Amino acid sequence: MPSPIELVAAGCLVLGTFLMVVTALGLLRLPDVFCRMHAAGKAGTLGVVLLILGAVSALAGTPHDVSIRGVLAVVFQFLTTPAATHLLARAAYVCDYPLSDRTAVDELKAFLPSRPDRVFNQE
Amino acid sequence: MSPFLSWIATGCLTALLVTAAACLYRMALGPKAADRAVAFDALANVFIGVICVLCIRWNSALYFDAVWILTLVGFLGSASIARFLERGRVF
Repeated sequence: MPSPIELVAAGCLVLGTFLMVVTALGLLRLPDVFCRMHAAGKAGTLGVVLLILGAVSALAGTPHDVSIRGVLAVVFQFLTTPAATHLLARAAYVCDYPLSDRTAVDELKAFLPSRPDRVFNQE
Repeated sequence: MSPFLSWIATGCLTALLVTAAACLYRMALGPKAADRAVAFDALANVFIGVICVLCIRWNSALYFDAVWILTLVGFLGSASIARFLERGRVF
């Protein structure tokens, strides 16, 4: 019978891996780049944070304790991923990346006009 | 290191490898630069997860520094790609 701390670690690992698989599914199946950012930005962040917490709880109490570095990694992850995703989404919108055919309303159009003079080689 | 956690870690590694393959497929498929950048971001996250699971599997904290360093490097990569797409230069 595994100990409670091992059960917590195993739960974190399984849930985090599930979220990473959901991220990959979203990357493969969603129609345009903004939808793919939605999958990679949210599910990916939570998945990797859960995997880090799984490693922290599995190694807690052993000589290889990583709790400080683990919490540091989680804080960095929560600080950097939203900023990076937002920068990329803004760049993609300004560069006239096509929206999906099923897009109902484009609220950003009034605030962030595209700049055709700034669109460079995008292949 | 109990056999229970070892089996869980092995299963997670297998699933994460499939995830990395899917991210590489999206990176190769494109169709444009921002799609590849998003796939790169997701791939960096997958590798961070792989390092965490390997730390459990090998019962070692030797490689755990790579986790938070890779977080910062992935952010720098995405930010510079975004600036390059928007302005045509990074700095």
